[in-house]
Amino acid sequence: MAIVLHDLTKIYNQDTDFPITAVDAVSLTIGAGDFVAVMGPSGSGKTTLLNMMGGIDRPTSGSVSIDEVDITGLADKDLVAFRRDNIGFIFQDFSLLPVLTAEENVEFVMQLQGHSASECARRAQELLREVGLEDRMDTVPAKLSGGQQQRVAVARALAPRPKFVLADEPTANLDAETTHGLLDLMQRMNENKGITFIFSTHDPRVIARARRVIVFEDGHVTEDRRQ
Amino acid sequence: MRARFAVSLAWRNVWRQKRRTFITAGSVATAMLLSLFMRSMQEGSYANNLDNATRFYSGYLQLQHPEFSESGSIDKLLPSDDAFLRRVQSIDGLTTAVPRLESFGLGAAGSKSKGVIVMGVAPEAEDAYSGLAARVRHGRYFAQGDENAALVGGRLAKYLEIEPGDELVLYGQGYHGATAAGLFQVAGIIDYPNQALDSRIVYLPLAAAQRLYATGERVSAWVLHGENVRGIPALEAAARATMDGIGPTNAGSPTDIESPLETAGTTNTRIRVRNWAEISPELEQQITLDRVSGQFLVLILYGIVGFGVFATIAMMTLERRREFGVMLATGMPRLRLIQLVLFESVCLAATGIALGLVITMPVLLWFYRHPIPLSGEIAAATEAMGFEPIIPFSLAPEIFLEQVQILVVIFAACSTYPMFRIWRLKAAAALKG
Ligand SMILES: Nc1ncnc2c1ncn2[C@@H]1O[C@H](COP(=O)(O)OP(=O)(O)OP(=O)(O)O)[C@@H](O)[C@H]1O
Ligand SMILES: [Mg+2]
Repeated sequence: MAIVLHDLTKIYNQDTDFPITAVDAVSLTIGAGDFVAVMGPSGSGKTTLLNMMGGIDRPTSGSVSIDEVDITGLADKDLVAFRRDNIGFIFQDFSLLPVLTAEENVEFVMQLQGHSASECARRAQELLREVGLEDRMDTVPAKLSGGQQQRVAVARALAPRPKFVLADEPTANLDAETTHGLLDLMQRMNENKGITFIFSTHDPRVIARARRVIVFEDGHVTEDRRQ
Repeated sequence: MRARFAVSLAWRNVWRQKRRTFITAGSVATAMLLSLFMRSMQEGSYANNLDNATRFYSGYLQLQHPEFSESGSIDKLLPSDDAFLRRVQSIDGLTTAVPRLESFGLGAAGSKSKGVIVMGVAPEAEDAYSGLAARVRHGRYFAQGDENAALVGGRLAKYLEIEPGDELVLYGQGYHGATAAGLFQVAGIIDYPNQALDSRIVYLPLAAAQRLYATGERVSAWVLHGENVRGIPALEAAARATMDGIGPTNAGSPTDIESPLETAGTTNTRIRVRNWAEISPELEQQITLDRVSGQFLVLILYGIVGFGVFATIAMMTLERRREFGVMLATGMPRLRLIQLVLFESVCLAATGIALGLVITMPVLLWFYRHPIPLSGEIAAATEAMGFEPIIPFSLAPEIFLEQVQILVVIFAACSTYPMFRIWRLKAAAALKG
């Protein structure tokens, strides 16, 4: 599996007097099983880049291909299904559905995929055990700590068996200890299951854990190193 | 996504803001209570008044000669013999059938005279049906063997300056050109509920009226009544079916003579079934006007409630922009999201309607069983008009259906804006919050 960005460009407010080029002709290839950090100052375009990789936002020009599928050419309807089946998302603020329990949150995307109730429940419970929340399955997000919520979010992202997981500043709302716990978890999933993780961050501690670091400034890749 | 999961999600979303949902459902329920109370009272009164009012004049239905209503002619009559009566009584759902012979005439007493409406009625049957005897203010009702007795409307009696015991002469045109003239004795003065008729009406025993107009065993109308007002359409259909194919002269009456209709070769020889609204259009108009004004009030009330419903549904959606963005991003199709919001509206509406019924039903049931009694002047006035001095309530399903229909329209209308917003929502922008 590979994610191939070719000449990817996003210009906001293109038709106005002050166009903003958030991502400027970026070409990159991310291989299967990698553990990648995209770092850069605020406003450098990290979120914009990740959103385009995840098919949430459409580029102004250029293309995103995932396993040879050019997702920039997909119709909205197909893109939704593609996201559902191939990409897991983790958000800075966890973004769990507040009325659903931990288990139901993990089941949500599987429900959309049309799996049977028992299959959804079985996999959700298995994933929650893996992230260490076996005794919190029936708890609603409001009664979980930030770290616990983000673990549920990791389980949710993995539930539909995606090709890769995109995480936009997943640790920004977590304290140091919880951040390490979450990174341990993501790393374990990466190493044991070979799941590709791509996350953006400002945090040097997080960057230290990545295998590949892409430094982003002003919409350009200024550095791309392995460590 | 399984339907159960989707509905459960919608239901829980509705209860995220318990207070707001309670307030909205409560306002819907209050509007339902107020408007159902009013409409139930209205329809209950209409049914009650109609039942009372129609007894005096139109009945629920009347059987007439097909040309009687246009001409009012004393020549356009129906039989009143037993064979015909048996046929009439076989109408499904019929509770009462009373004969009447109605015609015009000139009433004279002393030096005064006035055009009058002569109404020949079967004394016992008529009293049982319309309670005519109870309307006698002076003198007495018809008695057995009263051959020349007359009951006169109060205003007419005043005009003619007659009292019980006085003589009244009636002139007119009888059956097929015969001259009608007769001398009658005023047995009683009645208080007729309709003022216009009170100054014109003269009641005679049916036999006396038939003799006066030389009609033989004929009447101008068979007045029909059924179980209740709601059953009128069914009764009307049954009456038509039963009287189908029977002309005024081939009803199995051996005494019947030639019909001008049949000799003229027209096909319009069927007995005509007319309902109360055709016979008393002013009564129907009065009810319709009152009903529409009630429905208008209901609409205003719901219009006000509608703003609250709109605010709630709009807020329920707008405040969850980011959440919707997350759902779209993680693979929820847009139409599913719209469906979710629609389910939420349905849950909210169902809560409001259920709450409304729960608080309204006991109230309406109680008033249905215990109609509000009127008192004082209003009671007297109501009784004088021939109505029971009560405000009855109706539990007709139509009233409830009307409310539910209005609410469905309101909730559907209020949901279009949020649905439109979701239709236009861009996941990337929504994720920014
Ligand atoms: N919807 C938008 N309309 C206009 N400009 C936008 C929009 N979204 C982002 N931008 C601009 O594009 C640039 C990149 O934004 P982006 O959110 O991708 O940066 P970021 O690296 O994720 O920043 P942060 O670390 O603060 O999250 C910024 O200059 C931002 O102001
Ligand atoms: Mg960002």
